[in-house]
Amino acid sequence: MASRRRMLLKVIILGDSGVGKTSLMNQYVNRKFSNQYKATIGADFLTKEIQFEDRLFTLQIWDTAGQERFQSLGVAFYRGADCCVLVHDVNVKKSFDSLNNWREEFLIQASPSDPENFPFVVLGNKIDVDGGNSRVVSEKKAKAWCASKGNIPYFETSAKEGFNVEAAFECIAKNALKNEPEEEMYIPDTIDVARARQQKSSGCEC
Amino acid sequence: MTSDSSSASLSSDDEEESAGQKPNVDVHTNSIDTSLDAIENQLSSIALNTSIDERSVSPTGYHEPVSEIENGSLRESVRERRRNSIGESSSSIGLGLSRNHLEVEVEVEREADGQLASPSSSGYAGERGSSSSPTSASGTDVIRELRDNGSSIGDDGVVSVDPSQTQWIRGKRHADEDDGSISWRKRKKHFFILSHSGKPIYSRYGDEHKLAGFSATLQAIISFVENGGDRVKLVRAGKHQVVFLVKGPIYLVCISCTEEPYESLRGQLELLYGQMVLILTRSVDKCFEKNPKFDMTPLLGGTDAVFSSLIHSFSWNPATFLHAYTCLPLAYTTRQTAGAILQDVADTGVLFSILMCKNKVVSLVGLQKTSLHPDDMLLLANFVMSSESFRQVFYLYMTSESFSPICLPRYNPMAFLYAYVHYLDVSFYNFFIKKIVIQIEAVLAKSNILNEVQRSLSEGGMRIEDLPVDPSSPNNSGSLFHLNHRKPATNGTVTGVGGPAGLWHFVYRSIYLDQYVSSEFASPISHPHQQKRLYRAYERLYASMHDKGVGPHKTQFRRDENYVLLCWVTQDFELYAAFDPLADKGVAIRICNRVCQWVKDVENEIFLLGATPFSW
Repeated sequence: MASRRRMLLKVIILGDSGVGKTSLMNQYVNRKFSNQYKATIGADFLTKEIQFEDRLFTLQIWDTAGQERFQSLGVAFYRGADCCVLVHDVNVKKSFDSLNNWREEFLIQASPSDPENFPFVVLGNKIDVDGGNSRVVSEKKAKAWCASKGNIPYFETSAKEGFNVEAAFECIAKNALKNEPEEEMYIPDTIDVARARQQKSSGCEC
Repeated sequence: MTSDSSSASLSSDDEEESAGQKPNVDVHTNSIDTSLDAIENQLSSIALNTSIDERSVSPTGYHEPVSEIENGSLRESVRERRRNSIGESSSSIGLGLSRNHLEVEVEVEREADGQLASPSSSGYAGERGSSSSPTSASGTDVIRELRDNGSSIGDDGVVSVDPSQTQWIRGKRHADEDDGSISWRKRKKHFFILSHSGKPIYSRYGDEHKLAGFSATLQAIISFVENGGDRVKLVRAGKHQVVFLVKGPIYLVCISCTEEPYESLRGQLELLYGQMVLILTRSVDKCFEKNPKFDMTPLLGGTDAVFSSLIHSFSWNPATFLHAYTCLPLAYTTRQTAGAILQDVADTGVLFSILMCKNKVVSLVGLQKTSLHPDDMLLLANFVMSSESFRQVFYLYMTSESFSPICLPRYNPMAFLYAYVHYLDVSFYNFFIKKIVIQIEAVLAKSNILNEVQRSLSEGGMRIEDLPVDPSSPNNSGSLFHLNHRKPATNGTVTGVGGPAGLWHFVYRSIYLDQYVSSEFASPISHPHQQKRLYRAYERLYASMHDKGVGPHKTQFRRDENYVLLCWVTQDFELYAAFDPLADKGVAIRICNRVCQWVKDVENEIFLLGATPFSW
């Protein structure tokens, strides 16, 4: 049936530079991790197929560059997104503070029809670093912020160890399933040939 | 005014001079002679290429917004033939269909209650790709068999026996590929449709979902340029051209290394968009306005074959770049009879009715001042011929009628019409006749039209061997059908080397009629691969003759290692002719003159005269 069809979800990943967006994707899609930092230029695109509750999903993941100079893509970039993933580094306070800006910027640019209920997911990444000793953003603090923004799901992740990454992306699919729009009937207008005939014939016959 | 011009071209059959009355539209033997002689003299002075380099011909106008992509994958060599990958095909072949001479009659009727539940409309709810069967060993076998029968693999990887027989592989091919596959990257010509949010809608090769990342990249490129208040039209990357077309929320992209001109590829994208509009109307734009996330792939479910068939026709159907239609050659009275029958149908309140044989028109009757644009006709014929549902109705239920909502992009892109499609099988029509509301079959049978159609199919159309060399000779009967010595066209026999003076092939396009006629293929270009190459050469010729930047050309003569090509454009017609590469220029021009005269002599058998020209 129509509801069994594969769903394609456009997922945008946002966050300050160096919080590990690309590493999370790499871990999730390719199950690989590299300690070397390579800044993303513009954007990267990855595709991942997952199955959730008997439904097949294709995640079209837009991995963006965190640097401000790449933010010029704007509207076109965010248009038609199904989900937005906000990433911060639990060891860098500023990256957590920026989440608000990222969220607002996204809502302005993408202008979704129902901004209050647009599906976000927040990831606190790099929980493995230094055994958690250098951590400055507590889970409690992050969860409080998420709660204040309409109960955004929050996940603590480690791209390096692959911890919680799968669960976070599964949540995206769950969200999409919940928000799946009802199938609308597609009924374009139909030309009434009889009336068209009358109009035509009433015109000049030259 | 329009009817004036068509009667003017008719009257030029007369021996009497009437040029004084209608100097602009009349084509007389004398005027052809004189103008061609004048042209012959001019040719030597016109700075057109008379020698070999094909590429230098492409006018500099093509090169406008050129940028280079530093992407290794796009630069990959694509020379290698993909013989081995042909076997990967996961689609079945409609072998039986092209054997039978199917006729298609399309009538567009006004909506009646309850017709929404037509068999063909169910296609919209269908699962995408459900029409293609999964990979099977038998599918591979069929392909092998085809190849052994003297078929060829074109440079698009298309297995074909005769390009005009639409014997292309139905539906999506190589669905298992994605942008990571080497075979996918080596394909010569890709077509993509995507939404303005970067979601894939259609890809010629490979699975749309697996190409989601690639599709996002295309959207990012288009959007990045758009963000700067500009528009990307073409990217050249080595041998590849990436051509973009933005139609509101729908983006279309072609990536090709076929060396076709930019204008041609862009025209192909326009047709691809038109095909999408024919299936869905432009009301989809509203869906995207309401919801940018909108995924339109379910709406196009089961239409892969329609798009792939259209793309295949870009390499064998000159209508795709001439923007004209072609008729099945028929005796004048036969076509008139068919027209009279269709007129009866049209009088019952339909917008128009057409009788077609494959992609060729037998007759067409429409409301006054309402006629089909040739592009709409092409897209409609392609939709009907390639749609699974129309065929299934024919084979499974032994009836041959169906209704389908369709949209004619050039008539009204926003709304549906209803098409009543009726397949007639010439070979077996006695068995399949059913009592139907419109008893058109019975009428057709009585009138002998079906026999005539079959005769025309077996005897072929204008054969260059029959070109009257001496216009005053008594053999010049002015008809294609009264020549006693005509033999049925036989496939594959190698006799002679084409027509007089090394003439191999020609296409004649009548501007007022929106119609073209092309000669049958002679032995020097009997192979589908050669025919495709010739069409590509015509396509380049057409683009260079119509290039607005360089100015309108009247004639072009070029010689390369494959052919001598001669193109002649006047107010009334365009002639494209191919000769032996060693053909003499003066003789070639004289032969073109004869061809024009010949076309004129038999015009009431090869053209549908009196049909209103394009009017919307």
